[in-house]
Amino acid sequence: MKPLSPSPIKIMLVDDHPMVRDGLSACLSFYVDIDIVGACNDGTEVLNTTKQCLPDVILMDISMPNQNGLEATEIIKEAFPDTKILIFSMHESAEFVKNAVHSGASGYILKDTDSEEVYQAIKTVAQGRPYFGSNIAQMLLTNSNTPSNERLTAREQMVLSQIATGQSSKAIAQTLNISVRTVEAHRRNIKSKLNIDNLAELVRYAIEQGLVKAS
Amino acid sequence: MPFSFRIQLFAVIQVILTALFTYIFVTNEYRDLSEQNVATLESFLIEQKQQELKNYTEIAKASIQHIYASAAQDDENAQELVANILSTLIYNGHDGYFFVYDELGTNIVLPTEPYRVGQNYWDLLNDKGEPTIQILIENAKNGGDYYRYPWNQPSTETVTEKLSYSDFLPKWGWMMGTGVYLDNVQQQLNSVQSAIDEHTDNTRFIILFVAMSSIFVIFAIGTILHFTQKKETDKQIDQLGQKIITLQEDEQRHISRELHDGIVQVLVSIKYSLEATGKFLARENINKPQPLTQAQTNLSNAITEIRRISHHLHPRILDELGLSDAMEALGKEFSERTNIAVTITKPSLSKLLPDHINITLYRVVQESLMNIEKHAQATMTNIDLAIIDDWLTLTIQDNGIGMPEINHDEPSLHTGIGTRNLAERVKYHRGQFKITSSRKGTSVIAKIPRSAFAHHYTQQQEPIVSETV
Repeated sequence: MKPLSPSPIKIMLVDDHPMVRDGLSACLSFYVDIDIVGACNDGTEVLNTTKQCLPDVILMDISMPNQNGLEATEIIKEAFPDTKILIFSMHESAEFVKNAVHSGASGYILKDTDSEEVYQAIKTVAQGRPYFGSNIAQMLLTNSNTPSNERLTAREQMVLSQIATGQSSKAIAQTLNISVRTVEAHRRNIKSKLNIDNLAELVRYAIEQGLVKAS
Repeated sequence: MPFSFRIQLFAVIQVILTALFTYIFVTNEYRDLSEQNVATLESFLIEQKQQELKNYTEIAKASIQHIYASAAQDDENAQELVANILSTLIYNGHDGYFFVYDELGTNIVLPTEPYRVGQNYWDLLNDKGEPTIQILIENAKNGGDYYRYPWNQPSTETVTEKLSYSDFLPKWGWMMGTGVYLDNVQQQLNSVQSAIDEHTDNTRFIILFVAMSSIFVIFAIGTILHFTQKKETDKQIDQLGQKIITLQEDEQRHISRELHDGIVQVLVSIKYSLEATGKFLARENINKPQPLTQAQTNLSNAITEIRRISHHLHPRILDELGLSDAMEALGKEFSERTNIAVTITKPSLSKLLPDHINITLYRVVQESLMNIEKHAQATMTNIDLAIIDDWLTLTIQDNGIGMPEINHDEPSLHTGIGTRNLAERVKYHRGQFKITSSRKGTSVIAKIPRSAFAHHYTQQQEPIVSETV
């Protein structure tokens, strides 16, 4: 261990392919200021693993069975707002990057990025700054002119569907295993994004859009 | 020839044959029957007439009996008295009278034409060429008999068939006879015959009518059957086509997934292993060998290539982010390639649609953009996805030159297999598909009823929600 890094950055790898995780671990093990504290292979396990190993940075894949990395990112950010999430994905289009940012990710790199760059990205994100892979940054620049549509994130959409089926904030908090305050925050965000300020309108909107079925 | 038409033809031929057979059979039967009837009626009527004549003759004989019985063989007075009596016996208007000839054919009594009395008619031939008087005398001498022959009828002055009975007065050698004209018999027979004919005609008409209406009904039913069958077949073909497309999409999605989530991930892991190897060598102060660098480059190329193939088979973004974002990615890529500006409007919610609807609408956008690139000469394109009034409506609009071949609603052959295919696919989801075109541009509209996807999102979320708990 080098003396200039008193506490190494604790990272966790989330990828449903153990081989990829192993390959990356092998590369990252050459960097002394990085400590791989955990790994898991499914979006639904992320929260529990995070609770156990409290990483500084999570390298998160997007395409995973059951729950994708973007939804998992939102869930982690609800419970651990300080944990930085660096998306580590095979998907290259700007839509994924934008969705990742909406979900609360701090950075986005592609899976075939050199390990050196992966290391740089982890360091940048850990310091609280965003990081986007060189080709990703390029892509974001060319797409910056599109107006940021007031779209709901996956989590917000899920909360909306539960509101629309008549659940209270408390019940939703219980179902999603988050605090009532977080639910209320989602509720506010949803209302402001959709420009709707009462519950009845919200329910009607959800039914009209086919999010839930009129009961 | 389609099967239903063959059956129809067979049925029609059957009906025609049956009708023809019935027609011939019934007509023949009727003719035979009517001939028999007429013959029976005729013989009955003739028999009546004969009886009548015999009765008249008996009456006449009775009325001269008191003279004839006591008269001598050459009593001319008695003969004159008898002749007078017989000339006065007139019945049936003027047509019923008695005539008397001697056995040599000389007329003695003929009340209708008294000037003929005393003349000899032995050699007189009637219209049939028979010696009338000779036959009458012959019959009389043989003990009285009937004879039918053509004869002039006094009341009408025309030649009519006459039936006469002649008897013999042997003492004087006289043939005494009387006859009836058979014109009314003939009339009766004729009227019976015409009644029967009328009946036959009616029957013929009924047979023809039944046959014709049967043929008509067969044709009508056949045609209806044919069309319902055709409709059913068309529907089945459509369903089959849709099934094939669905299977194909499923298969492509499957292969794409295998490539992206399987092989590519393995390659990525190899890539990192190679990098780790490089780092290991560097730590040991060994120069990175050239083949390792080469392998890394080749591997990167392979990864890129497989990802390209995978994306081409099935856009993964559709599964991960939903239609809106997939559309947006498609639009951007299109815009960069063609320099045609693309504006996209999309709903605030995402991932509302089941996979099959997703991929269908995605293909609609893809195909439409391809058409715009190839034919439209447009500078601007709008893609609009919105849920309005129970319908999810996707509109792709351009400001190009339009499609000159179509200016009506239904996509025709001219719009190409691709477009027709899209229409079928959209309709499969109970949707509507419409292309309108003018010189100011083309718009493609695909609509899916909300009921086709309304419950999808909640169903999709349920397992995850319960797992999170």
